[in-house]
Amino acid sequence: MSEFLETTHDKFVFRVKTGLYYSRDDFWVEIQGDQAVMGVSDFLQKVRGDVAFLETMPMATEIRPGEEAGTIETIKATYGIIAPVTGKIIEINPEMESSPYLINQDPYGTGWIYRIQLHDRVRDQAELLNAESYMALMQEKIVQEMGNK
Amino acid sequence: MKKPTGKVVVIPCSGIGKVYGALARETAYELAERVRPDTILLTCLPLVVVGDEQAKQLVTENPVITIDGCPMKCAHKSVESHGIEVAQSYQSISFYVAHKDLKPEGVTELDETGRKLAAVAADELAAVVDSLAGKEPK
Amino acid sequence: MMDKALIKVGIVSCSGEELPEGTLSRLACRKVLDELKPGTTVTICLPLFIAGGEEERNFTAKFPTITVDGCKKRCAQRSTEALSGKPAKSIVITEIMHEKQITPPVRRRNLTEQDKIVVQVVAEELAKAVDDVLEGGE
Repeated sequence: MSEFLETTHDKFVFRVKTGLYYSRDDFWVEIQGDQAVMGVSDFLQKVRGDVAFLETMPMATEIRPGEEAGTIETIKATYGIIAPVTGKIIEINPEMESSPYLINQDPYGTGWIYRIQLHDRVRDQAELLNAESYMALMQEKIVQEMGNK
Repeated sequence: MKKPTGKVVVIPCSGIGKVYGALARETAYELAERVRPDTILLTCLPLVVVGDEQAKQLVTENPVITIDGCPMKCAHKSVESHGIEVAQSYQSISFYVAHKDLKPEGVTELDETGRKLAAVAADELAAVVDSLAGKEPK
Repeated sequence: MMDKALIKVGIVSCSGEELPEGTLSRLACRKVLDELKPGTTVTICLPLFIAGGEEERNFTAKFPTITVDGCKKRCAQRSTEALSGKPAKSIVITEIMHEKQITPPVRRRNLTEQDKIVVQVVAEELAKAVDDVLEGGE
């Protein structure tokens, strides 16, 4: 299986990394045992634009799905980092302070945001989408967001 | 490092799809037309890239500053890929990060705030330009 | 034959920082992309295209392009020919100015109201070229 699922709108290529889970709010989660790493999907970073500022929550903050866990500011908009899982922030990507543009450059890699200690992995995982399901949702969102631009 | 020639070439990234491309270009114009008109030489990035003799001579003989509008860093990478050393490289988003109160808007033409940011950025780059040109700071 | 509903046209504008005609080219292209032909035109960032940008290269491999150059050096046209084949149309601003006996702008930024009329004229020419390409004309 290839590393990414892809779809193209006009010239823009949107990628969904396989093997990850996704929230309906367009954040990805990589489950690693009882921990998870999370970041912004390629779709979200593309439609929101180049990141200028990132405000993260302090270490050890408890997060819950659907709640805001920081903000990302681009020239177009300020949007929330919406927690995709339940848990405690145990690591913040140290590169984010000086290089938040990594969210645009490498959203599924060096652009990760938090590592989270999961409280209920099974329940969270059941609520998240796999790559194929997220791909279908993302395609609908692309049409809504970009329309016939 | 090139010897100072009294001139410095500025190459903005040329992007036409984002505000940061417009900011890169406006900053270059501010440098060339207001801040250091006697020092700055402006050239088109595509001219350098397609190997135009005059443009190539300009960037070979003089120190080069690139100002990019996005993390793809087309200006920086394109100049370097032609074997030309870039003396200083900037991303215009960093001008906004340094001056959060000046949020630029507009893709084809910057709004007033964006033009103000470009002017501030160009003023801040003046010392670097003077140093590369081998001139005393004004 | 490609389904007409699926055809889009890539607009490759010279960036032309050095010349007022470059500014004219950029502004006219954006007018076409944003106002006159949204939905059927896509901007191709020339430096990114040249530098190997995946999205620009993939698009130009599949869809027709129109190049718009500010001067006779024709950077956009030459680059497109080298990288993705012959453009469906190639427009040179100085030729339009000559044909229509219009005086081009003399500034590279902060265009006057008169200059903006010239932008509109060039944009309309470009929009006609887009229609031509969409209808299968050369």
